[in-house]
Amino acid sequence: MMMTEYAGKSLLLAHGVPVPSGLLIHKSIQVQRWRQSYPAAIKAQVASGGRGKAGGVVRVNRQEEAEDAAQRLFALEFAGERPSALLIEPWVEHTRELYLAVTIDGDAGGYSTLYAPEGGIEVEDNAPIKYAFGAPQDFRAHALRALLSPIERDAAVRERVIALARRLLFIATSVDATTVEINPLAVLADGKLLALDAKIVRDEAAAFRQADIAAETTRARKREPRMVQRALAGNLMMVGLDGDIGLISGGAGMTMAGMDMLAAAGLKPACFLDCSSNPTPAGYQLAFDLLDAEARVKAILVSIFGGGTHVDRVAKTLKELMENRKSRKPVVIRINGTGRQRADAILQEAGLHNHPTLESALDAMVAAVQPR
Amino acid sequence: MSVLIDGASRILIYGIAGNFGRFSARDLVASGSVVVAGVATGRDTTPIEGIPVFPDAHTACRSAGATAAIVYVPAPAALDAVLEVLDAGCKVVVYPGDGLPVQDAIALRAAARQRGATLIGPNTPGLISPGKAKLGFMPSHCYTPGPLGLISRSGSLSYEAGWRLTSAGLGQSCCIGIGGDPVKGLNAAEAIELLHADHETTAIMYLGEIGGSDEYALARYAMRTDAKPTAALIVGAAAPAGKKMGHAAALVGSALDSQATKVAALRAARVHVADTLRSLVDAARAALG
Repeated sequence: MMMTEYAGKSLLLAHGVPVPSGLLIHKSIQVQRWRQSYPAAIKAQVASGGRGKAGGVVRVNRQEEAEDAAQRLFALEFAGERPSALLIEPWVEHTRELYLAVTIDGDAGGYSTLYAPEGGIEVEDNAPIKYAFGAPQDFRAHALRALLSPIERDAAVRERVIALARRLLFIATSVDATTVEINPLAVLADGKLLALDAKIVRDEAAAFRQADIAAETTRARKREPRMVQRALAGNLMMVGLDGDIGLISGGAGMTMAGMDMLAAAGLKPACFLDCSSNPTPAGYQLAFDLLDAEARVKAILVSIFGGGTHVDRVAKTLKELMENRKSRKPVVIRINGTGRQRADAILQEAGLHNHPTLESALDAMVAAVQPR
Repeated sequence: MSVLIDGASRILIYGIAGNFGRFSARDLVASGSVVVAGVATGRDTTPIEGIPVFPDAHTACRSAGATAAIVYVPAPAALDAVLEVLDAGCKVVVYPGDGLPVQDAIALRAAARQRGATLIGPNTPGLISPGKAKLGFMPSHCYTPGPLGLISRSGSLSYEAGWRLTSAGLGQSCCIGIGGDPVKGLNAAEAIELLHADHETTAIMYLGEIGGSDEYALARYAMRTDAKPTAALIVGAAAPAGKKMGHAAALVGSALDSQATKVAALRAARVHVADTLRSLVDAARAALG
């Protein structure tokens, strides 16, 4: 979950990292509250990257320009999201732009620090150098210094960057952040550093101990399509896709494998739907209710290979569910795993066919949705 | 000795009194694994499924000689429970739970390494050495002994793959679920090294997905002159960019995360890559030679 720039900068400031003093506005008319000098920067506050390239940051020289720019920015969409707020900041003169980040690095088994002596929106094209230290307790300033020395010749800047890298790591561990990135990090005329932007990504898994992550996760859910909202509320993992085959599966890998096989058979999945987080009668009922109600879904494939999910219980649920189901959309079933033999018996008794392989289930699905 | 566990492994189930702990106890005993102890905190120590129950991991390890553990507690309790079994001296520990904060995964990985132990997980069904021992909850009927080492980021996909391989007569030396999270107790590179060093493993099959960089560890390994033959299936070709596909690490953020880029890197390293599950067995056969 990515924080907006304003929220990220507030967090940096609370930890003693200098940021420009800005004003957050929610309507373009509120530009009038800006009492500081021009030129100023007006920046769309959205929870996605690539804002700079998408025209979300505008320089304005006087108040009339600022009002026009604010109106324009409020009307723009960034990765499908309209900004709910804008941040106005003084346009800060600076001598250089740097890039500094601390981020989760699977290869390192923990965190890495990333640094580039030239920041800005094109930084991804000039790969930053990486200090992969892993566990926070293994961060060593001298090791980072050794890496920075050949590429950062200004010793004063280098030392400030090293101190700030340590601070960003402290912030990341304190607030359960997976990324704390400052790009650009400005060097001012007096040599001090100032964070002109902040990209802080929080770990959704830490919602149980970070109240603001829990609150933001709830808000983010409300931006999802209605079908996805209801699935998530029922503890099912769903991502909406634009196809017409409902896929009810279990486990992320198996669900993706099913999507890939549907695509290879010339069919398009309507969703990624992983029911393994709630493999109960209520969970499967909700999955069917959602897909039955969705007009574009033509048929449903149940593809489950259960380990911790006992498929005999799934079979029992499917039997009861199909007996009471009103929708006439075709359903193709292929379940295997723990309790497979009992599952076969239960389905057979209910007059439901359990396909022996995913291949045969897909053949049946292709036949079921063929135009007659 | 096979990889990490064998018939001599003495297993502790932490959280044995819950529904899942009880199921796992029956399932592990049925699979022929040696379960010597259970831990149930805050409850009486009546045996469960015939297994002696202790109030803490230290007592369980001292009294019953447990050497390996599987920990069934929810994510908010995982840091303390896994540290407890590591401190008690267990050398192989599986934490299957999902939704573990990445900070806690980092702390547990570091703690395991410091104690010379191996953590498998989070977000994994564990591992199985077919015919020898199991420390997990994958369905046993999907596996049979043989020479193929299997590594998977996904639990359900590894059952499907195991079942296909077993049905085709291709047995496995060890199947390791490394888990679907970005920071793992045992990552792909480390799992590959274990299978590389194992004399009973003649080829390695890797089941990967979009996001993260573990697949590139396989590509690097396959280019080594002493590498064992390798095969792979990478899922998520049909997944849209920018959306998290269930697993915490399964997200296409940049080109390197995509299924197509990973498959291209693996093919360039001469890994036998299956396009979908349909050609999984063919890829495994090609690697086994």
